[in-house]
Amino acid sequence: MRAIVRTLLTLLFLTLLLRAQNLKEFEKKVTEFTLANGLHFIVLERHDAPVVSFHTYVNAGSVDDPGGKTGLAHMFEHMAFKGTRRIGTRDFASEQKAMAAVEAIYDQLEGERNLGVRADPERIRTLEASLHAAIGKAASYVDANAYVRIIEENGGVGMNAGTGMDSTNYFYSLPSNRIELWFLLESRRFLTPVFREFYKERDVVREERRMRVESSPQGKLMEVLLAMSFMAHPYRNMPGGWAEDIEGLRVRDAEKFFSAFYVPVNMTIAIAGDVLPAEAKRLAEKYFGLLPKAPPPAPVRTVEPKQEGERRGLVESPAQPTLIIGYKRPDQLHKDDPVFDVLASLLSSGRTGMLYRDLVRDRRIALAAAAEASFPATKYPNLFLLYAVPSVGHTVEENEKALYGVLERLKSEKVDPAALERVKTKIRAGLIRSLDSNSGLAGQLTYYHANYGDWRKLFTGIEDIQRVTGDDVQRVAREYFTPEARTVAWTARDAEVDK
Amino acid sequence: MRIRESVALACLVLAASLGAQREPSVEDLKYPPLKEIKIPEVATFTLSNGMRLYLLENHELPLVSGFALVRTGNLFDPPEKIGLAQITGSVMRTGGTEARTGDELDELLEGMAASVESSVGETSGRVSFSALKENTDQVLAVFKEVLASPQFRQDKLDLIKTQIRGSIARRNDEAGAIAGREFTELVYGKQTPYGWRIENEHLDRIGRDDLVAFYRRYYFPANILLAVSGDIDTAGMRARLEKLFGDWQVSQPPVPKFPEVVRRPSPGVYFAAKPDVTQAFFALGHFGGTLDDSDYAALEVMADILGGGFRSRLVQRVRTELGYAYDISAYWGADYGHPGLFTVSGSVRSASTTEALEVIRQEIEKMRTAEVADAELRAAKDAVLNSFVFNFDRPARTLTRLVTLDYYGYPRDFLFRYQKAVAAVTKADILRVAKERLRPEDFTIVAVGNAADFGKPLSALGSPIKEIELK
Repeated sequence: MRAIVRTLLTLLFLTLLLRAQNLKEFEKKVTEFTLANGLHFIVLERHDAPVVSFHTYVNAGSVDDPGGKTGLAHMFEHMAFKGTRRIGTRDFASEQKAMAAVEAIYDQLEGERNLGVRADPERIRTLEASLHAAIGKAASYVDANAYVRIIEENGGVGMNAGTGMDSTNYFYSLPSNRIELWFLLESRRFLTPVFREFYKERDVVREERRMRVESSPQGKLMEVLLAMSFMAHPYRNMPGGWAEDIEGLRVRDAEKFFSAFYVPVNMTIAIAGDVLPAEAKRLAEKYFGLLPKAPPPAPVRTVEPKQEGERRGLVESPAQPTLIIGYKRPDQLHKDDPVFDVLASLLSSGRTGMLYRDLVRDRRIALAAAAEASFPATKYPNLFLLYAVPSVGHTVEENEKALYGVLERLKSEKVDPAALERVKTKIRAGLIRSLDSNSGLAGQLTYYHANYGDWRKLFTGIEDIQRVTGDDVQRVAREYFTPEARTVAWTARDAEVDK
Repeated sequence: MRIRESVALACLVLAASLGAQREPSVEDLKYPPLKEIKIPEVATFTLSNGMRLYLLENHELPLVSGFALVRTGNLFDPPEKIGLAQITGSVMRTGGTEARTGDELDELLEGMAASVESSVGETSGRVSFSALKENTDQVLAVFKEVLASPQFRQDKLDLIKTQIRGSIARRNDEAGAIAGREFTELVYGKQTPYGWRIENEHLDRIGRDDLVAFYRRYYFPANILLAVSGDIDTAGMRARLEKLFGDWQVSQPPVPKFPEVVRRPSPGVYFAAKPDVTQAFFALGHFGGTLDDSDYAALEVMADILGGGFRSRLVQRVRTELGYAYDISAYWGADYGHPGLFTVSGSVRSASTTEALEVIRQEIEKMRTAEVADAELRAAKDAVLNSFVFNFDRPARTLTRLVTLDYYGYPRDFLFRYQKAVAAVTKADILRVAKERLRPEDFTIVAVGNAADFGKPLSALGSPIKEIELK
């Protein structure tokens, strides 16, 4: 026992030392500047290899989709790869006219359709044919996928973007002699975006929903869990949006969304790798200085009302059963945020996690069982998530009961100090292990700047976790893991439903 | 409300006027030459027990990690005990060592935020570790125990069997996984080690003795390449490992070659019914080749133009122009020791399934009958050549590459030869390899989805449909 205490103390000392060194060392390599228009840059120098990673964090996501237009933030993200007034077109002046013609015909078509039962089917057919022809005409001016081709042929790797609930992220890496190419391409797509091939890309976005949600048992289950958990807050909608909303999106919706949310003060950019800060600043001013200053957009006003009772929902599926449970929890700025991180780690980190030990290793009723501190995102009050994948011959009911049993232990017993220390050590080591990836770091730096006002939170957040006590763990478990604050969703085969 | 709108409107007007400013041209950008790539120095030794050792110093972070590469693989599974290799690899670590149970290892390692893991894949076994620098000795000790004295305790054998039975029960839940699996099994042949799969009856036949025997046959020093990198001192680490592994002196006859692939095409259109999806998931193609193929570079560039990046023909047609799919890609499958699979795969909306497959066949036919455009070839080659530096963006990549090349008996400058070969690829090369190596008459086409929604039936592809019964 004494040996264990000594080990704990040594570990504690070592990690405190390690942490202080980390931040101090790291700070020397970071330079920050804000352009006059409000756009913030974080530059991290790592000169070991002649490569550099770029990450643009836009503080707008699917929560900002207007009513009836879910999927719009995601749709805009796709449009951001369609090029500029110069890239992606064979003749921009003609293309612009052709695109305007598409919109004019589409307006007429929508007008007719909106008449509902009084609409003239013949006129709708004619307009549909004209629309199809107009889209074809506009497409004839397009040099398709030119924007991404330029990135790829210049050696760009890891190019992609993602639309989340809270944010939209654009990222890739280049050989470091081509830094200026990124400045040109990235600034232009957010200075004068061109909504070319909008309606074809809308089909692609619709396919993405079919692939990720409609054709995936897990996707369907998540969609149901969110819709049940959130009655009012937009976390109720999957970031990809609802089918018919996507099918109705228009260019003008995307334009409005762009001008409201893609404003410099609402964006953060990180550049990590073989880059000189002075050079980055010169290029930032040259290229991004052109973005017009605009006021920051308002956050989501809607506050999810307090949940007053358990909600339960079943998804019938031929797939094998899965169970997910969400407990309401506050947002990332709440004082209990680090306690939830510790809880998630206690429950499901590695082979020592409580859920793995109990449900998977000892009782063998689950193939996997784990917890997530935050779902589906972190900026607004969200869910502490638990899930279990029953093993053959074991049921969702059995697993649900076992999950609650583990949570009850967290409420009634003091957490094992060795286990608490172990998760803290792992969280710290996880940070150290993340420090050798330019692209990973660039993403992290923008996230912490945008969400906490300072990238240093990447390091100081570890101190918050260090301060979490066994009492905190017990108090938070008791306060939040209550039946009335939970939503339970599971998949089952029809046969089991009939029972 | 009104104020916000007018602000938005003002922004739009402003943006429009800014857009009128001349947009700089990408072609006008001048790039300085790329700084020289620093290729880190890997030191190689042979320990006294016959293990090959590779060491690479990297002092950026206080971390040490490594892996042992073992000549074994699930290609050596006995036909009546498929899964033995995978299970042995897993229980080597979870079943604990002479000194400690698996659960004790979990506590010990996770308490140091360290890991030791073991697995066996198709053509190699791997035991790896990762440690904070100050715990290097303790973690290395566990690493050695797992490699040299695993105990394969019964409870963890039972646990992995439960896990695998679960994955067998769930293997038909996701349509994309079904398409990939059925395609692979059909092309390699379901009766060969490359195309067979684990069933419950195999698990019933696998006992602890089988694990011990499998382990004994393959895990011995002369059959292992050991690589360690991170915040280490080469001479010191070499001495530590010599001392640590010095007493591990077991030996076995050399491991035989992996079984050969029998190249027998299995052409046809195969369909598996999956009613609960709104897309059809597909995979089609035939045997690819090996990495030491003299045409490997040309084949890679050819497949890249067909379906590699966003700029590829398939993405262009099926996704961008037709809007049928979100995900579609093609690659020339090449492996080190045996032929991989040339594969076109993706998922398309159900109603356009047959049309999409027809378009894919047309695009392949175009590759076989006409030269690619200069711009396409240049873009594909530039993509490889300009991103070449990312092969060296982390020192550990050089170490892993070197060990892998040695393991498969490839020349150590393989990557640089590939770079040269890509630079030399011509349009004529592309057309020649497409003609010679893509054989539409041999295509195995697998589609998984809801046939009721297909619109045009799959039979329009011109061959009888062979139904796959999902088990």
